[in-house]
Amino acid sequence: MPYWYYDKKDLLNTPSFRDGINNDAENRYRKEGARFIIDTGSKMDLGYNTVATGVVYFHRFYMFHSFRTFPRYITACCCLFLAGKVEETPKKCKDIIKVAKSLLTELKFASFGENPKEEVMTLERILLQTIKFDFQVEHPYGYLLKYAKCLKGDKTKLQKMVQMAWTFVNDSLCTTLCLQWEPEVIAVALMFLAGKLSKFEVADWNGRQPKHKVWWDMFVEDITTELLEDICHQVLDLYSPQTQASGNDSPPSVPQPPKNEKKPPSVTPPASVSPVAVTTATKPVVTPIKNGGEVKIEPPKVGITEPIRYTYPFTPIPHYPPVYTAPPPTIPPPPRLPLVPPPMVYPDPPPAPNRFPPVNVPPPNYFTPLPNRGPPPGPPPRPYYPPP
Amino acid sequence: MQSVSAPREPTQPVLSTTSTILNMREKEKYIEEFDFPFCDESSKYEKVAKIGQGTFGEVFKARARNSSKKFVAMKKVLMDNEKEGFPITALREIKILQLLKHENVVNLIEICRTKATVHNKYRSTFYLVFDFCEHDLAGLLSNVNVKFSLGEIKKVMQQLLNGLYYIHSNKILHRDMKAANVLITKNGTLKLADFGLARAFSVAKSGQANKYTNRVVTLWYRPPELLLGDRNYGPPVDMWGAGCIMAEMWTRSPIMQGPTEQQQLILISQLCGSCTPDVWPGVENLDLYNKMELPKGQKRKVKERLKPYVKDPYGCDLLDKLLQLDPAKRYDADTALNHDFFWTDPMPCDLGNMLAQHTQSMFEYLAPPRRPAHLRHHHHAAPPAKPPLDSGYQDRVF
Repeated sequence: MPYWYYDKKDLLNTPSFRDGINNDAENRYRKEGARFIIDTGSKMDLGYNTVATGVVYFHRFYMFHSFRTFPRYITACCCLFLAGKVEETPKKCKDIIKVAKSLLTELKFASFGENPKEEVMTLERILLQTIKFDFQVEHPYGYLLKYAKCLKGDKTKLQKMVQMAWTFVNDSLCTTLCLQWEPEVIAVALMFLAGKLSKFEVADWNGRQPKHKVWWDMFVEDITTELLEDICHQVLDLYSPQTQASGNDSPPSVPQPPKNEKKPPSVTPPASVSPVAVTTATKPVVTPIKNGGEVKIEPPKVGITEPIRYTYPFTPIPHYPPVYTAPPPTIPPPPRLPLVPPPMVYPDPPPAPNRFPPVNVPPPNYFTPLPNRGPPPGPPPRPYYPPP
Repeated sequence: MQSVSAPREPTQPVLSTTSTILNMREKEKYIEEFDFPFCDESSKYEKVAKIGQGTFGEVFKARARNSSKKFVAMKKVLMDNEKEGFPITALREIKILQLLKHENVVNLIEICRTKATVHNKYRSTFYLVFDFCEHDLAGLLSNVNVKFSLGEIKKVMQQLLNGLYYIHSNKILHRDMKAANVLITKNGTLKLADFGLARAFSVAKSGQANKYTNRVVTLWYRPPELLLGDRNYGPPVDMWGAGCIMAEMWTRSPIMQGPTEQQQLILISQLCGSCTPDVWPGVENLDLYNKMELPKGQKRKVKERLKPYVKDPYGCDLLDKLLQLDPAKRYDADTALNHDFFWTDPMPCDLGNMLAQHTQSMFEYLAPPRRPAHLRHHHHAAPPAKPPLDSGYQDRVF
């Protein structure tokens, strides 16, 4: 059985790393690939579920292959293409490629090769085998809303907190958190973070029992503060200047042109000089909160005791359209079609015998024998198995 | 909570280190040599015979080459003419099969691939690998030498309804109930198979009806609501099929073999009575209610016409409850399982002994045609068949 969660040390020793790509570079490729899936998906009006599923496929894929073997943007397209089908929101391959082309520099799009659609089709089979046809992926969003419903407190503040946590979940897709922790744990951690930042104190919650010290004890056992902080920092690190400055060490995104094709070398300068690469990379990845301008977000003062090693973006730059960014206006969210068949919460039907003793009632007289009827019609004529 | 055993690292072919990125040739070599840890090669099985044609590909009987020599059924995922890559229908079937694990649902063992080589343009073919079942119900019913006692019929129906209860509880509709999709192992365990048309369903919220396609279910087993264009249907569509299959246990051949959708509706009306708002409130709102010709004044004759075959009054009564025109009145799987039919003598009894007398596999696909050959694969996906000129059909209603 595949197990899609990895230790930190496994995440350092990846196929890309063994292929000569250092961890920082790999993390940047992952971030850029994930961001690209988010942007492409949003532009195509794909829901957060589909987008997140695509990103999880992407992260899992690169636990088995190197970024040098498979350039990230075409893999990203392929993951989104498959996620669209799995989540019952299919998009045509050519449409995804069209949007991808509009979002990428010519240089980056060159990695799609001569026939992008065919490339995606071949890649899809590799993706399917790599992820073991393990299509069903759960995301923190649903848990976030489920947990929020239980919390008591000021409605407006709660709403803001959920909105912020939602944004953190969006951004967490750019990290490898989905390769480390179950969605429940990520949801708890990022709500914890949003609670701190938006100063929403959870005083009480529905379903509280004496043994519950904090609200999440009700949902996930044994979450330590260290773990929560570790997860929060992984997300907050996205916003730190070091990880954002990625301009001058751009990843290999251009494949070698096929031998038979003669392209002037000037068409394919190193990706590092691409001005677009620099601007996209330095853009803050977070959109703090839509419609939340009046909330002043301050760094947390309690709980996280480590020195603050992140900067929170103070200038909100609307980065992706509301389709994806904005959490649903109310709790619960607009119900998306249950793409995921519910888990098998239903008990098996009780075994047939012994349910109740056989009833020994004489058969009811539904039909009185009809004396005048001839013999029942035989089965229709037709060829049978020849007798042995 | 964190990983105890991470997936084993794949062995990687040695790559050139001169270029930053692989060239085409290197990539092809990489794909060819990559040992996908989670997807075995189909060559671990040896094909024995073709045993069927599924919704999206051929089905083979095969044997494991390893020491187990275990038999499996391999269903090929047909991708040749797919413009959109791996078919969404196959994705659905896989997702659903991964979810459903039950004694009375066919078990998906794994998905295998052929090796990617230059010959297949580096595109593998995929096979769904299932536990092998020796028979399908259509094959068994077409063999006169296979005789089911009343207790055995009860056992078949009980298992079938158990399977339906389980999948419906998991919010899955089968949407292709028919005797050929009901498999039976040599030990007499029944398995629902072919989830190629299955889908998850939701209970429609007020004011927001579901819009499912009604071009599902093989015509002869298609319930009246689908024939009348309902797009907000649910588990009762499978229960109708269960009723048709149950009747077939005695008649040994599908009870309503309409050549067209119109004809099928007429056959249904002749057996179950006219579709009127009286017996079926709301039928008048279905899309095709005014577009299809619906026989008027037909009386319901389910029990009357099936009694000569079924004889057992409990059996007749359950059939009557399953073949209800109004899906809201049709029994669900749970109610049907509680019907006296299953709780009166003779009680359901094991099929193992009876099947032990038959050593040959019986599949509809392999059986001689039990109806005109051009009708055998009459399928929902096919355009509505035109009434044949030679009028070789018999519109049978039992």
